[in-house]
This record gives sequence, structure tokens and C-alpha cells, in this order.
Amino acid sequence: MKNEYFPYPAVIEDIKTETTDTKTFRVWFTDKVLADSFDYQQGQFMELSVPGAGEAPISISSSPSRKGFLEFTIRAAGKVTKSIHMLKKGDYIYLRGPYGNSFPFEDIKGKNLYFVVGGIGLAPLRSLINLVMDNRNNFRHIKVLYGARTPDDLCFKDELEQWKKIPDTEVWLTVDKPSAGWGGRVGVVTELWKETHINPENAVSIVCGPPIMIKFAADKLQESGFKDKDIFMTLERYMKCGIGKCGHCNIDDKFICKDGPVFTYEQKKGFRHKEHIF
Amino acid sequence: MRGKGGKDMKASKVKIIGKKKIKDLLREASQEWNVYVPQKWSDGDVWMDQLPKDKQMLDEALEDVVLEDVDTVISPKDIFFPQLESIFKFKDDKIWETPEFSPKLIFGVQPCDLKGILFSDDFYRRNFEDRYYVSRIQNRLIVARGCLRPPRPTCFCSSAKTGPFAEDGFDLQLVDFGDSYFVEVGTREGEEFITMHKKFFSEPDGNYDMTIKEIKTKACDSLELKVDFQNALSLMAQDSFIPEENYRRIGERCIYCGGCLYVCPTCTCFNVFDNVKDKEGERVRNWDACVFEGYTRETSGHNPRKDKWLRTARRYEHKLKFDYKVTGLSGCIACGRCLSSCPVGIGISKFIQEITEKRKIM
Amino acid sequence: MPRVLTTCIYCGCGCGLYLISDGKRLTGAYPSRNHPVSRGALCVKGWNSYEFSNDLNRLTAPLIKKDGKFIPASWDETLGLVVEKFKHYKNTFGPDSLAFLSSAKTTNEENFLMMKLARAVFKTNNIDHCARLCHASTVVGLSLAFGGGAMTNSINEFKDAEVILVTGSDTTAQHPLIGSRIINTVKDKGAKLIVIDPREIQLAKYATIYAQPKCGTDVAWINGLIYVIIAEDLHDKKFIEERTEGFLELKRTVRDYTPELVEEITTIPKEKIIEIARLYAKARKSMIVYSMGITQHTTGVDNVLSLANLAMVTGHIGFASTGVNPLRGQNNVQGSCDVGALPDVYSGYQSLVDGDIRKKFEQGWRVEGLPPKAGLTVTEIISAAGEGRIKGLYIMGENPIISDPDSNHVRKCLSEVEFLVVQDIFLSDTAEYADVVLPSASFAEKDGTFTNTERRVERIRKVIDPPGQAKADWQILSEVARRMGYKGMDYKHPSEIMDEIASLTPIYGGITYDRLGPYGLQWPCPTKDHPGTSVLHKEKFTKGKGTFMPRPYIPPAESTDEEYNFVLTTGRVYWHWHTRTMTNRTSTLEREAPEPYVEINCEDAEDLQIRDDQLIKVSSRRGAITLKVRVGHKVAKGTLFIPFHYREAAANILTILAVDPIAKIPEYKVCAVKVEKI
Repeated sequence: MKNEYFPYPAVIEDIKTETTDTKTFRVWFTDKVLADSFDYQQGQFMELSVPGAGEAPISISSSPSRKGFLEFTIRAAGKVTKSIHMLKKGDYIYLRGPYGNSFPFEDIKGKNLYFVVGGIGLAPLRSLINLVMDNRNNFRHIKVLYGARTPDDLCFKDELEQWKKIPDTEVWLTVDKPSAGWGGRVGVVTELWKETHINPENAVSIVCGPPIMIKFAADKLQESGFKDKDIFMTLERYMKCGIGKCGHCNIDDKFICKDGPVFTYEQKKGFRHKEHIF
Repeated sequence: MRGKGGKDMKASKVKIIGKKKIKDLLREASQEWNVYVPQKWSDGDVWMDQLPKDKQMLDEALEDVVLEDVDTVISPKDIFFPQLESIFKFKDDKIWETPEFSPKLIFGVQPCDLKGILFSDDFYRRNFEDRYYVSRIQNRLIVARGCLRPPRPTCFCSSAKTGPFAEDGFDLQLVDFGDSYFVEVGTREGEEFITMHKKFFSEPDGNYDMTIKEIKTKACDSLELKVDFQNALSLMAQDSFIPEENYRRIGERCIYCGGCLYVCPTCTCFNVFDNVKDKEGERVRNWDACVFEGYTRETSGHNPRKDKWLRTARRYEHKLKFDYKVTGLSGCIACGRCLSSCPVGIGISKFIQEITEKRKIM
Repeated sequence: MPRVLTTCIYCGCGCGLYLISDGKRLTGAYPSRNHPVSRGALCVKGWNSYEFSNDLNRLTAPLIKKDGKFIPASWDETLGLVVEKFKHYKNTFGPDSLAFLSSAKTTNEENFLMMKLARAVFKTNNIDHCARLCHASTVVGLSLAFGGGAMTNSINEFKDAEVILVTGSDTTAQHPLIGSRIINTVKDKGAKLIVIDPREIQLAKYATIYAQPKCGTDVAWINGLIYVIIAEDLHDKKFIEERTEGFLELKRTVRDYTPELVEEITTIPKEKIIEIARLYAKARKSMIVYSMGITQHTTGVDNVLSLANLAMVTGHIGFASTGVNPLRGQNNVQGSCDVGALPDVYSGYQSLVDGDIRKKFEQGWRVEGLPPKAGLTVTEIISAAGEGRIKGLYIMGENPIISDPDSNHVRKCLSEVEFLVVQDIFLSDTAEYADVVLPSASFAEKDGTFTNTERRVERIRKVIDPPGQAKADWQILSEVARRMGYKGMDYKHPSEIMDEIASLTPIYGGITYDRLGPYGLQWPCPTKDHPGTSVLHKEKFTKGKGTFMPRPYIPPAESTDEEYNFVLTTGRVYWHWHTRTMTNRTSTLEREAPEPYVEINCEDAEDLQIRDDQLIKVSSRRGAITLKVRVGHKVAKGTLFIPFHYREAAANILTILAVDPIAKIPEYKVCAVKVEKI
């Protein structure tokens, strides 16, 4: 019997600083059998452990199309994530998973894609975006609308630049609070609607970010004519086990860890206390 | 693997055992099994405790065994899902797990609690097995014991059809018949147990089927607390039928002890934390409860169920709406423990009365 | 055995619970179904009481501080050092250069030994404990009025009360199994509830009348109630005549307290004062419930005396479900007072000024020359330590750096005392200042008794062994006495200590371990065949006649001014216990209330443009702390509330070291502060 609660050691191969409080950790399993058989999907998460500090669910920010490593982009917020930030290259971290459902991929081929992102929400979406970029010919026009609190809070700045250069791909950035030297747009992400045309035709949108941002963005997309089933979003809950047992991430008969974290707007509207989801 | 508490075999055979022989049966069985049986304490409390293996201590413990009018604060769920248990231990860069597999004979389980055990078994086995729970139940035999009288004034099993006798799910079931028990055989494992200890059992005389039927009917009639359970389930199935006000009123009265959930036979929630000193320690889990504000508070401070009424709604909707939706079974097995352990007199039976009888009683 | 019936470690309710163990550590806590207090229920702290003692950061070896660092040492070396130092100070500077802080968290037996150690072995009365900080006013006040400082009724009597007046007690949070009984009595049996509290607590929602007085104006509204009662002829003349003395003085004092004046002082509308007076006086069975909102004032004794006046003037005392009920905070604060861990009395509140009583103890303890003069109180001991008058200080299970007023002052004093011994289960903030730290056993690791708020002496039972070299407090104290050459403190088991307590203490006279059984006995229990007492002062008051001791209203020590324009009142939250050394090691409790906060009224928040959850700075003349804001209606405009549990933003950095002149209890409930945005 497999013990789902038992984590496996992985070595931190690289650490990249994204923002003042966010780092991307590139890790890989030490066990060769596990490393060879390991597979995951875009949008899934894993439980990361620092024995002594505890365990936290963290989305995988790397794309399943890029093999031989895993990346986690982590903001130092709680006890566990702060402990992870203390780790150095070569240290061990303990992983189990992957868990949760994934962002759609096969079903959205041939469509225009709108990625609406807030802050650290780009971490899980980056997994899908890079997967899409690695299969660019299967998709039509792509818009990434990305808002952060300050210019410093924008993650993956190099990749944002790279994506821009890919044909038929637009990256729109905005910040709530500009800092000196910021020449770009100012305002919340939904403000971008004023600047760029949002066309729901043959399109799906995928929204990821803090709960309040998702709420506004999803409402806005709906206003723009997106069907409820074409708006994908991630829901966030306090989580312990990651496998639908501890109960914390329960909404109605669903577990965010098992049945989510990706839901459509349609599913969200079906929840019992739908006005209290975010 | 034996004694899964198989559900597919109906009680087909009946034996009889003298009440006086129960102690000797348990003594013999405890050589092979870890035997859990209700035992009475000096303060009158009854707990489902493991019989000691030491001979003298065993003899003493057997004197305290009680099988009638048993009101344990906690259902036997803590045998498989203890209040606190180890997930793994660690030291420096090593980690190791410590699951528990001992053979368990659970003797004298109330039918409502049996439903609770089976409900939790299913939950822990379903879609990602819970290693610790499932290893604990791997080798288990359940001897149920029907209730002639409700052990708690808050019992309402007859309304939910979860008692006072079990129809299935047991390996063996005791039916109280004066100086002896009829023993209904529910599974092959139950039958094997009787064969192993055959000197304690004999064949019943005459028309025992009728006698058993009469006992069960009379037991059912002895329950005074009756609620419209099925109606409650169908009302709960309709979205937004229950006014927010009900949940708000209950949420205000609640003092957030967590007791109703800790004692609930089908509550399975847990918290996980590390106990550590320097680089050595243990990851443990302990019982948690969805009525607590921190249960859903995220690291950012954002909390989708900050309001008391939403947490209250969660509790009742989980048991009476969503469990039913997912499994076809109510998550409430009508044991009445939530009410009997509530400091402020809140209970699921009262909630059912409120919604089906449309009146305020809490 | 894996399951042991014992008594909860947290509040004064004294719930009976079963602790479960796997032989090495605790794995669970369940309520006793049949225990008269718990009756199958517990509060969240009780349900989770199994967790903290498992923490791997327990103290497991004696520690001696060398060059500013704690080094593990043997018991022999450590206690040798303690005894050497204490002997030296005693011989050089006299016995009163030593002081002992006992603990309401430890057992009756251990408190008794601590006071015996101080008095019989070291010959000083400098012994006190945190009761000074919670109910010293009750002990003094109710003793003056009735002859005994304890709850006059029992917990299960709430169900038959007709009117319950709750003041200065957030009962559902601090005594949950009593608060819940109040809710049940009101909701299910139609009793009327009066809540008078500067905070709109959970019980206020069930109140027939809720009044929100200004902090520190209690004597005024109580006198106001008595004014109305006498004016409307609602007083119980027969009771006053037969059972009390001093009514005329009372009448004279309260005649100035017209509802109009009371409204002016307290902000309680005069109509409410009249309404409350009528409701309370007219009922047949009225119970007063109070706690630290009444006692923790420079007028703490006055407040208690005034409540006693109110009960006596209406004859609402001395009957079942009718009386005055101070809810004691700690699990054993009643007991630690009962057994004499106080500077002016021996066990059973027997005065040490009385030569005959001293003689009795000298004979009982086989010593000579017990000191006749009252010793110093907690706050005086701390100050004296800072001034060098106390050279050796022995603290058992207390954490004054967080719990005592004006933390900066306490810190300074403790860092200056010559030799500090701290005996505890964790390295507390106070222990950091110690020269020697002694590791002790938790409530699950020893035998003993606690006395709950309804005077019920209950057993606690050993479930598991203490970690490492840790020892039960009674064993450590006995060992110190033995090393001092005293032969009268060798015990094999705490039951022998209880036998000694019974032999010297009339109210505990009939108590033995054999008799306590699963539910204990309620004192007074003077003889071996006495069944215990559920209601005090039944036919007559303990002191004979009850005495009216009217008091005028005196404002708090510190009033607001232009700069310090907010009144700060402090208290506790449901999830934590006192200085949080146990509850912050309990996952559920710590998760529920992980952060310090300050409650502020919506209007004030709007005026100051402060949002919920925003960090602000609160400062008094003594210090400043930074913490998050909770905006709401719980406190009135102009008032702030801060729970004192958190070392991260310790409320007691702000509080004032101003004490009641008689009880010496600090005024935790009122000081002037200001609020600044950061």
C-alpha cells in the first residue's frame, strides 16, 4: 500500500530570485526510479515539506513539456514557505504529489487564449503558458494580461519578454502602485479591458491570482461575452493533506485539492454558497 | 485479509451464547486479537478500551466489561482515527513512517456506531487511501450489539434507520435475550470466529427468528425521540431552503468547543503539524473541526468562511446534504452524541426538528 | 493504563476529563460523561489539553546559567547551588531577603509545600502567587463582608436561577462550561440575564438588559442600583435585620447615587439603572457572577464589597441558585489561596498574626519561630527584587514578565535580582532571566489535587512520566527542604501532604484522597464524615452577621487626557491561556488566535482612518506596542481592549503599576493610552 502522506527527498538544483519575497526553486528527486517515472500536468500542485516547519501545497510552475526537473515559485508568507526560503542550493526538500486537476490543454487547442493573471498567480499559469508556447502551432491568438501590486512584484520578467516576442502573442502588464522608472500601465488588471480588445469568439480564458482579483476578472470576462464554461479559474483554500482527507479545502461536496484547484465559472456558480466562494 | 466488515452478506445464521460466558470468550479471544470492549469506570463512565494482555490485569478489566446501556462519549472511531497520531518521524535528513496493523476485535459496537465506522471506512478508502486509517482496519472483526433501550436520551436512530439493530455490516451481532445473546452471523469471518471459539456458542431452540424479530421491534419502540429524518434530507437537498437565520442563530449560541465534531462518528477532519526540537521530531495529525475560524483561514489572512453562520451551515450541510449527495447515505448516523456533548444544547436532532417542524428550539 | 480520569489544567471550572496516552505521551483528552461540571462536554482548551505537554521543547534537565548561557547540570549540582545561595542570603541579609512565588497552575499540595518551605524552612512570609493579580480583591472583600472569599453557590445551580447578573466576566470565553450554563438557563428555562460590561461580550446577546459602563466606574453603578432598590422599597428588610449589620451606613452612602448622577459617571442611561435594579431585586433567585472586570482595579476591594452589599440588601445570598459568585480564573487559584500561598495567612485563611494559629503550625511542622509579620505581595516582591531588598527569588510556574503590570519594570527588576530560580515546564520569558532553571512535571505527569471555582477539591492523576529528568514540583520543593536540613518535608506521595493540609486546615479537615473519589468534595468539609458544602452562608454567614461596607466611587488611578485619550482595558481570549506558554504549543488553539490585536470602536476607527487588520501603535506612559486592529462594536467609543497573552505585543507593557490599597491587585482594567498609525 502506498503511503500518500510520505514525502520523497529532492535536491534543490537552482534558486532564482523573482521578487523581494518570491523565489523560484528548481528541484529534482534523488531517487532515480522515482525521477524516471514521475509525471505531472499543468496546474497541478505538490505538497512541499521542510521537516520541523511543516508542509504546504505549492503549485508547480514549470511546464510538463520540459522534463527532468520541477520548479516551484514560492512567496515567503507562512511558516513553511519562510523555511523554504532559508534553504540553499544543494539542500534537501521533501515532496509528495502531484495532486489536483489541471488546466485544460487538449480541449482548448485551436482556440484564442486569454490568460488573466494577478501577482503570484502567474506561477501555476506559467506551467500552462509554457506548455502552450512549446506547442504554439496548436493555438491561435494569445493574450496574457498580467497585473501586480508593484513593478517589483512582477514574476518571471525574462519570460514575459520572451513570450512577447512569439508571434501572435501579446503580453499586457499593469501595476497597482508604480515605482520610479516604471513607464508602463497603472491600475488593476481589469483596467486593461479599456486598452485591448477582449473577444470571446472561439476563445477561452484562464484566470489565476488572489481571490478578489479572480472575482473581478471573471465577472469582467463574463460581461465581455465569455460563456461560463469557457472561464477557467483556480480556487484557493487552506489545505493540509492535499488528497481529500483532512477536510480543510472542502466546498460543498468538492475538495479543492482533489476536484480542483481548477474550476470553471459555471461550476463556481453551482456552489451552495456561491457568493462566499472568494 | 480477513474481517473487512463485509457488507454483502445478510445475516443468515444464528447462534446463542450465555451472558456468563462472554468474559471467558473475551479472555480467549484476547490471545489472538487486541480486544476492544466497553468497560465501566469508577465514575460510571463507559469507554471502549482495549483489554490488557497481562493476565491479572485482564481478569480485572473483564470485571468492568459492560454490554448493556452503554453510553460512550466517543464512538469507536478513535480506535482507527486517534485524536493524535504519528504520520512519520524524522531526524536530520532521514524520515520514517510508523503505521499500525494489529488485529482488532471490536466487541459490543452499537449499530449507529457501526454505520459510522462503515461510513468512515468508505471515506478513507475512497480515491487516495489513507494509509494510517486503512492499515488500522485491515485486520478487524466487528461484533455489534443492538440496543434494547436508547443508551442516551438524545438517541434517535430509529428515525434514521441506523439502529437500534444493524441490518448488515457487522461480522457478528448480539441480540439481548435475557440471560443470553442471540448471535447473528453477518460474514464468513464472523462465522470463522464462532468456529474458533465454538465451545462458547450453541444452537438456538425453537422459533428464534420470531423472538429476535419481537426483540428488535420492541427496541425500536423504546426510542422516544423521533424526528422526520428523511424529510430533513430531502429539504436539505433543495438548495437555499434553510433560511440563513437558522444558521446565524445556532452560530451565535455555539461556544466553538468543537465537541460535536470530535464526538461525531463520521467526522474525519484533521490538522497536521510538526513537533520538533533541533533537527529531530515528528509529523503528527490530530482531530480538527470545521466550526473553527482558523480551519479555513489562509496564510494571507483571507478567510472564505470567516462568518460563524457559514461555518455552522457547513456543518449541517456536510452531514445532511453533501454526504448524502456523494454516498447516498446521510453523514449523520443519529447517535445523538453531538447534542449530549454540547455545552449549549445544540444538536443535529434539534436542527432537524427546527427545519421539519418549522420552529425555533435552539 | 492508557486512560486516566483527571482534572483539566485550564480554567476554574475544573472539568473532569480523561487523558489518553500511548505510554510515552498523551494522545487524547475526552470529557467525563458523569462529572458534575463537564457532563460529557469540554471547551476547546479542554478538548485539546493533551497536546502541549508532548512538545519536544519541554525542559528536560536542570539548567545553570554560566556566562549568560544555560548549561544543563545535574539535580545535585543545581539544587546544591540553590540551597547554598538561599542559605547565604538568609544568614547574611535575613529571611526577608528571600521571596517565593507560588503558582495557581500547580496542585494544592505543591502550593502548601511552597508556603511551608518559605515559612517553616526559610522563615519568611514573602510568599504570594498570581491570585494577587486576579482575585485578591475577592479574597479580601468577601472575607470582610461574608467571612469567606469564594463562590457562594455551585456550578450546577445556574440552571435554577431566575436572574443572573454578569459583570466583568466574559463567561463564555473564560469559564466556558459556566457561560454555557448561563446561555442554557436563559434560552431554555426563561431566566433573565443582566450583563454589565465595558465589552459587548457573547452573553450580551442573551441579555434582557445589557449596559456598557465606562471602565472603572463599578462602585457608582452598584451604589446606584442599591439607591433604586432602597428608594423603591425593594430591599429585604427581614434579611437585613436578621442577618446583617451596617445597613444605616449603606443607606447613608448610597443616597447620593441617584440614577442621574450614576448616568453621568458611568454613561449607563438612568432608565437602565432603574430597570436593572428592579429586575435583580424582585426575582426570588438572583445570582451575581463576576470576575476580573470587577477585581482588577485600584478599587477592586470596593467593587467586591459593593456587590456584596447589593446581594445582602436584597437577601440574594445564602440560598441555592442565589448568591455572589466570583469565578476564579486558574484551574487551582482557589486552591492555592485555600492552602495559604499568600503573605498574610496560612492554609484555610488562618491569620498568621494570631499567636495560637502560629503555634498550631509550629507544632504541626515541628519548627520554632514562624515569622509573625505579613510578607510582601507579588508586585511588592518584584519591586523589592529590583531594589535589591530581595536577593533570592524562587518562582514556581509563573511568568510575571508577561502577566504582571508594567512589563518593562518587571524585566528590569528581574534582571537586577541577585539570584533567580525559575521552576517551570517550558523556558518561559521569565525563565530567560533565571540563574537556575528547574524542569518540572506537567499536570499529566503527577498526582495531586486542584480546587475549582465552586470549592470542589478534585484529584489530578499521573498518566505518564515527566520528560527527561523533570520532576514534580512537590518532589523538587521537598528536595530543597531536605537539603536545607529540614526533616519535615519527606513525602512518598502527595496524599500524605493532603493529610497534613487536612490536619492543619479546618475547611479541608475532612478531605483525604480516599474520600475524594471521582468528583472530589466541596469545602468547607471540616470532618471525615462531612459531605462537603454546595452553598455557603446558608443559615448564617461564615463570620456570623454579614457586614455592609459601603464605599464611595473613586475614579481609576490614571485618567485620559489630551495626549493619552483612550482608555485601555485588558483581558483574555477564549483560545489562549494567560501567558500562552501552553496554548501556543497547542496546534488548534494557536491557529485560532495566532496574533495579538486591539479592539477599537468603529467610530474611533473612522475618525482615525484606521482599517480592520491594519497595524497600529498603542502607547502609554510606560511603553508602546504594535499590533493589528479589530474594528467593531465590542468596545465603546474611547475604549480599547487588548488581550494580554502575547509576548509579541504584550499588553502589560502598557498597563499601570497602580494597586488596590488593601488587596494590592494591579489595575489591569484601566489605563490611559494613545493610538498612532504607522
